[in-house]
Amino acid sequence: MNRFFEWLLNLDRRWIYVFVAISLITPIVVPIGLPVTTTDSTRRAFEHIERLQAGDVVWLSFDYGPSSAPENDPMADAFLRQCFIRKLKVIVTALYPLGGLGLANNTLARITPEFPGLRYGEDYVNLGYKDGAAAVMRSLGESIAKPFPADVNGRPIADLPMMRGVHDIHQVKLVFTAATGLIGEYWITQAHAQFGTPVIIGPTAVSAAKYYAYLNAGQLIGMIGGMKGAAEYEKLLMAAYPQLDRYYRETHRFTATKGMDGQTVLHAIILIFIVLGNVAYLSTRGRRREIA
Amino acid sequence: MKLDFARVALMIFFFIIPVIGIWLGQNSPAMRGRIPLLVAFIAGMIPLIALYVPKSFLSGQEGMSTRLDQWLIIVAGFALLLGIVNVLQNSSRKIARRDSGWIFSAVLVTGLLITGSFGVWGALSGNGIGFMPDGSPTPFKWVEDRIFQPLQSTIFSLLAFFMASAAFRAFRARNTEATILLVAAGVVMAGRVPLLEFLAAPFPGLHAAAATGSRFLGGLTEWIMNTPNGAAQSGIIIGAALGAASMAIRVILGIERGYLGLGAGEQG
Repeated sequence: MNRFFEWLLNLDRRWIYVFVAISLITPIVVPIGLPVTTTDSTRRAFEHIERLQAGDVVWLSFDYGPSSAPENDPMADAFLRQCFIRKLKVIVTALYPLGGLGLANNTLARITPEFPGLRYGEDYVNLGYKDGAAAVMRSLGESIAKPFPADVNGRPIADLPMMRGVHDIHQVKLVFTAATGLIGEYWITQAHAQFGTPVIIGPTAVSAAKYYAYLNAGQLIGMIGGMKGAAEYEKLLMAAYPQLDRYYRETHRFTATKGMDGQTVLHAIILIFIVLGNVAYLSTRGRRREIA
Repeated sequence: MKLDFARVALMIFFFIIPVIGIWLGQNSPAMRGRIPLLVAFIAGMIPLIALYVPKSFLSGQEGMSTRLDQWLIIVAGFALLLGIVNVLQNSSRKIARRDSGWIFSAVLVTGLLITGSFGVWGALSGNGIGFMPDGSPTPFKWVEDRIFQPLQSTIFSLLAFFMASAAFRAFRARNTEATILLVAAGVVMAGRVPLLEFLAAPFPGLHAAAATGSRFLGGLTEWIMNTPNGAAQSGIIIGAALGAASMAIRVILGIERGYLGLGAGEQG
């Protein structure tokens, strides 16, 4: 037994890589369909959006890059679907320099065809990318046209019907930031703290821990944390809207609910390794002391 | 151009005074630090005063503080330019000397120039960096979708492998603190996913118990994240904010001068 524990403690990391690869690939090939339970922070975010009135203007900021797209894409997709179903007007921007705009363009190209009645400029606008995230947010308190004089296609925002009557961020009812780094925090410290705009954040799972402090302080309306949060959000949408229930059950595209299968199996594998590693460590500790 | 008070004051503070500073600095090394300190002091004080003095020349739509915010966006853009110049300088030096790994620098520079030229072409042709008028992707978007995004995703996905290996090696119950960390991490890892349902899947008789256990673990995870984690995060955030504020005050008052990059005899 001791030899087994010694072998385990000195296990070549490539064996762990093999287990990780198998645990991630298998659920993608053979989906399990594990249940998703919802948490309070996601429910608060969902319910706040539900309470908005048709015609209200909301802001969706793509503050992440392709590296965290599997976590952030599903939440941005789900947010857009909820907004378009509820006939909210959506302003889309990207403040993340490494590919945020590309993801915003791709997401809009993916989601808007699902809603044939949508018209660009009237129901949603894409204002593109702007550098200097915190400074941009500060400027939004004075005027949206100052940092974003034109949309992503170079059309002046004064020519966009949706933007008439939306002069600055005070007319925006909600900011949703799908974020990978500091930019999500800037929305809280700039848009919420200085202008009182309600903010919902969709961070990656690794950065979600930080945002509980803002949630507890009431500076965030809600949080859709990582792939788990996105899966919860999808579940809430499926429960509220039959057309989205059908969509999420039948789609062949990647969804957070599907991604949770892989994440669950991976967590199980890592936990098993941690438990085995500790059993081996504690079993051989006495012998190591003797040798020392 | 309308010459209102705010515009004139900004021109004096951030154009005329710096020009005088450069002229003085050329004649006297000791003066090189003085004018930048004055400029930093003014730039730092304007937004602070604007918070407390509600005058239109300070905090109005065309006020000094508002204009400074817009300048900040432009300055941030120059930071990107500085980064590009820095990458080109370092990489070209490495390529010229044939230092180890020079081939990667060559790939980096080639990628930068090709992608950059596609972006410039998009701007000059009016097609932008998204889609062409016929709906097909622009060359920039093609590079972004087919090369940049898969590469970034690949690099980040490697993290799953490294984290699994690191968790196996690092999470050991070596002492009390490490054991507390280990237990908390185990609970959060188990509580964030339907782990018990997954493990109980082959045993129908255990499904109800697994669902109950999963709900309990989920609740415990939320408590850990909300209460001990939330409290610790609040402390960290407040501490970091106080540190940033004190550093800002040091810069505004000229106590902290490291950012000036001055040599001996230039401190003033």
